[in-house]
Amino acid sequence: MTAACIFMGGCSGGNGYFDEPVSKSDFLMDTYMTVTVYNGSSSAPEKALSRAGELEKKWSVTDSSSEIYAADHSGGKPVTLSEDTADLVSFALSMNEKTDGALDISLYPVLREWGFTTGEYRVPEDSRITELLESVGCEKLSLDGRDITVPDGMSIDLGSVGKGRAGDEMIKTLKENGVTSAMLDLGGNIQLLGSKPDGSDFRIAVRHPSGEGNLAKVEVSDCAVITSGGYERFFEQDGNIYWHILDPKTGCPAHSGVVSATVIGKSGTLCDALSTSLFVMGTERAADLWRASDDFDYILVTDDGRAVITEGIENSFTLYDEFSSMTVEVVRREK
Amino acid sequence: MQRRESRTAQIAELGVLTAAALIIFVIENQIPSPVPIPGVKLGLANIITVYAVYHYKWSDALLLVLVRVILGSVFAGTMISFAFSISGALLCLAGMIPISKLIGEKYIWLSSVMGAVLHNAGQTAAAVAVMKTTAVIGYLPYLMISGCIAGAFTGLAAQLVTVRLDSDRKKGEKSSNDDA
Amino acid sequence: MKNKNTAAAVVIAAAAVILLSSIAAVVISRRKPAGSTVEIISDGKVICTLDLSSEPDREITVEYKGRKNIIAIENGDIYMKEAECPDHTCMKTGRLSEAGVPIVCLPNHLIIRYKNGGGDTDAAA
Repeated sequence: MTAACIFMGGCSGGNGYFDEPVSKSDFLMDTYMTVTVYNGSSSAPEKALSRAGELEKKWSVTDSSSEIYAADHSGGKPVTLSEDTADLVSFALSMNEKTDGALDISLYPVLREWGFTTGEYRVPEDSRITELLESVGCEKLSLDGRDITVPDGMSIDLGSVGKGRAGDEMIKTLKENGVTSAMLDLGGNIQLLGSKPDGSDFRIAVRHPSGEGNLAKVEVSDCAVITSGGYERFFEQDGNIYWHILDPKTGCPAHSGVVSATVIGKSGTLCDALSTSLFVMGTERAADLWRASDDFDYILVTDDGRAVITEGIENSFTLYDEFSSMTVEVVRREK
Repeated sequence: MQRRESRTAQIAELGVLTAAALIIFVIENQIPSPVPIPGVKLGLANIITVYAVYHYKWSDALLLVLVRVILGSVFAGTMISFAFSISGALLCLAGMIPISKLIGEKYIWLSSVMGAVLHNAGQTAAAVAVMKTTAVIGYLPYLMISGCIAGAFTGLAAQLVTVRLDSDRKKGEKSSNDDA
Repeated sequence: MKNKNTAAAVVIAAAAVILLSSIAAVVISRRKPAGSTVEIISDGKVICTLDLSSEPDREITVEYKGRKNIIAIENGDIYMKEAECPDHTCMKTGRLSEAGVPIVCLPNHLIIRYKNGGGDTDAAA
């Protein structure tokens, strides 16, 4: 039935939308990924997922056959990476500079000390964090073409950018398979290809920072919508809440006043990296970075109950009724 | 209500009551719940709790419940069921002790109803904390209703136990007086 | 004695209020859900959101600390098919049908529930 649709679609000039969207899911990169396509080849979702599986194998920090594992366990010797991996590392290093250190792929040892990598949470001693921070810092890494050197005692992980890049790569695979309308849900990272079959925008809910229910919705097409929030992974000890987004400067959970950061833009990789970075940077530095760029918009929710959004998203952003009394501040470009 | 009795005798009695509560608890745990709602059960071990609240100092009742909950979790459950039991039991006692003082022995069943309702409220609070979501509150109204029914039932049973034990005790005192 | 009777009357009234409001809450929570979007929450984290009206029949396996739960979707219904836990209460709950009553597996920190609000959206970020 679906095959017939595609065939006919091909003949009638690209108007080949399926009667029912084709959807496939798999558990990859620690999240439940769902790919939904509205046209193109019905095997496209499966191909996109296997592309994500391929990347997971290269980027896993725990799989001893992965490239990242090899780099982390090289004892300070150079390791040659595949193009996929070298590209992403190079992007992450440039983001480290752009965000003034808010995004740091070498923070992994500290994240592990807090137990966020295993679920065995604990609050480390201050002295232990200071000690671990000695071996954190992107400037100590060197990437020469496809050869990376991770000094002994340091570890990198691509967790803050990997899902976004995987999304971009999956979209690429979908396009190669004739898809022009699709939605990827990668455990809360939403990436959209084109618009819905009827030409309307996708309506994407932005989760409330508590993790319960939704705060607002945005109506957008052909872009990524990626949120980082403290609710995603956290633990409580002695009445304090510790979440998994750490400030590389302190080695402790970031307290910039931002409790959830949603970034919307064409590149999933960029949005993924920025959602973590803006959470760490806070509203002021986020606005400065946005004014110096032109490839993303954001929605930040603050701990004093404000929503700070950029002007590019102003018209497609709607708060849900329960939160209509919330203050919304719009950041504009200075003239 | 307070009886003149040696502390040793009281401690021995508390030990027997704790053991009885534990046995009831473990046996009830073996019976599968008829209703597919987590937390719904008769809570027969609470007969002993109610009795203890009415006949001992609050601190003794607390100790009895703590021992029962801790050992009960060791015997029958896992650490997760311990979290639910303990928060339920503590909230239950915190409410039942003052209520029992206020309304007296005539309304044991009523204290028991309030105790059961509070027990379920405490359990739900623990579930919210453990599951990290308020979704489980959907079960609270069901638990409240089942708490009212189960509480009334265990309360009446406790009332019967009280009447029985009191009359036995009087007989006992009488015979020991006769002996003297 | 009089005081005790007054106190008892107050407590009876309180118990009656709790009972009646709970019955009301049960009636409300048993209403049909507004949409067909359900979410699966594992250890406090929404791991996936599904629209039952367009989901194909399939099974989803969720793991928590090495213990597995198998969630099944069949003809637009969702239920817990298997659970590695001591009580299996979640399996007895049957199909998810009421807005306010989720399927809960307490030991494995797993919840399946209808999503409140946001029924007018395609996905959540």
